[in-house]
Amino acid sequence: MSKLQEVKAMVEQGKTKLIAGKVQEALDEGNKAEDILQSMIDAMGVIGDRFSAGEIFVPEMLIAAKAMSLGVDVLKPHLAGESTSSLGTCVIGTVEGDLHDIGKNLVAMMLEGTGFNIVDMGVDVSPEKFLNAAKENKDVKLVALSGLLTTTMPKMEETVKLIKDSGLPVKVIVGGAPVSEEYAAQIGADGYAPDAGSAAVKAKELVNG
Amino acid sequence: MLTKRQNLMEVIKGGNPDRFVKQYEFLEIIMEMPMLKGVFLEPGTEGKNAWGVYYRWPEGHIGQMPVHGEHTVIKDITEWKKYVKAPSVKFSDEEWAAAVEHANSVDRNEQFVTAPYFGGIFEMCHNLMSMENALIAFYEEPEHMHELIEFITEYELAYAKEVIDHIHPDAIFHHDDWGTQRNSFLSPEMFKEFFLEPYKKVYGFYKDNGVELVVHHCDSYAANLVPFMIEMGIDIWQGCMTTNNIPELIKKYGGQISFMGGIDSGVVDFPGWNQEIVEREVEKACNYGKLYFIPSLTQGLNISSFPGVYEAVDEAIDKMSKKMF
Repeated sequence: MSKLQEVKAMVEQGKTKLIAGKVQEALDEGNKAEDILQSMIDAMGVIGDRFSAGEIFVPEMLIAAKAMSLGVDVLKPHLAGESTSSLGTCVIGTVEGDLHDIGKNLVAMMLEGTGFNIVDMGVDVSPEKFLNAAKENKDVKLVALSGLLTTTMPKMEETVKLIKDSGLPVKVIVGGAPVSEEYAAQIGADGYAPDAGSAAVKAKELVNG
Repeated sequence: MLTKRQNLMEVIKGGNPDRFVKQYEFLEIIMEMPMLKGVFLEPGTEGKNAWGVYYRWPEGHIGQMPVHGEHTVIKDITEWKKYVKAPSVKFSDEEWAAAVEHANSVDRNEQFVTAPYFGGIFEMCHNLMSMENALIAFYEEPEHMHELIEFITEYELAYAKEVIDHIHPDAIFHHDDWGTQRNSFLSPEMFKEFFLEPYKKVYGFYKDNGVELVVHHCDSYAANLVPFMIEMGIDIWQGCMTTNNIPELIKKYGGQISFMGGIDSGVVDFPGWNQEIVEREVEKACNYGKLYFIPSLTQGLNISSFPGVYEAVDEAIDKMSKKMF
């Protein structure tokens, strides 16, 4: 197994205590930082697919994301510019009236693992705050809205409308228990994902459009 | 006509009920228990509970949520003993008086005197340390998680003893959410490793001390955990959402455990609810079967978030009872 394959396997297995050493070994062996990063992004793709398929559970996804983050810390000084976030910036948050954050946090981790720079707005975020964050942060390509409550779905719609009406060149992805593909289309969102694994795939597809 | 309690027993024992059990009607929940003081905030307020967990209930929201970050109780799981202090379960007779009076007023032939418990062992773990930190710690620091769980279990046993001594409950109604709407948080293997034995201890203690019925609330997907629920001694899984494929669960496990729910609160309990939506969902649920199933909102108490919904569900169940019995 090559060092890059070993790095990928360690991220998939969530080896948080060993990953930094393995990434350093891969660098010492002469592998390019960009290639090592790509092996970790590939690992998170595998993790996302396995989560979507119900083969792994939230803890396995969390430790894989943590392993990747620790690996990226070792790589950062060796990466040119901001290439850890090759897909641009994603503003993410839970819509106004809703305090649930677990799903949103998982999606944020998966998107970061896919190559987005994340601006996490937290929970109970008003439409205006989402819009301002999309305007004020650099290179925003995606706004991701999460909502777990049926009661807050109108706020999701309002947020999508505000962002779309602003004319900003950003895509909007929505998700959460009461949200469906049909509802996403109905409120004018560009994409929908039923879970954190497919959110990463869909987000990448939207910005590469 | 069977009493509410007798009818419930016919349903869960596979006998001859004379109507559907109507949601929570068989449970008389003793909310005056002194341990529950401070468990629920008023809307628009925030503050710590007896364990030091910080909750917030913003005005206009439908419930309270724990807040983490600077408020997180356990800042480092390897030092949990430094941070976690269990509240006392000892209260004076005066503090117990309202609960005892309520329990004594219940006709136990009609209903089960029911002791509630909110925030079970799994929820307590993530309330104390945040969900992400807790779920990661199951992998990274399993020994410390086992210790913390043992500590929480001992608290639950001490709580159980006080409750049994004071109100002699016939049933307990114990909350612990173990999943999302689509899956359990933990894999069945991990769930078994950390939670099966502690829950066997807690539910076993209640049963050894006169509690006839263990009702566990978990309004999520948890179909993959049903074998453990049975082993723990759960009689009724309340909050069973439609994502669990309830008809299949009844077929597979009916007789060992019963399922209460089938009417997802998120689908019927919202500002724009109407009788038509309620009746449609109740009819679907009642068609799951007359045995080992109790049609109910998945909400974790005998209330709804929006006025009138709980009562409308009751009425719709009455209609289905007339039609099907």
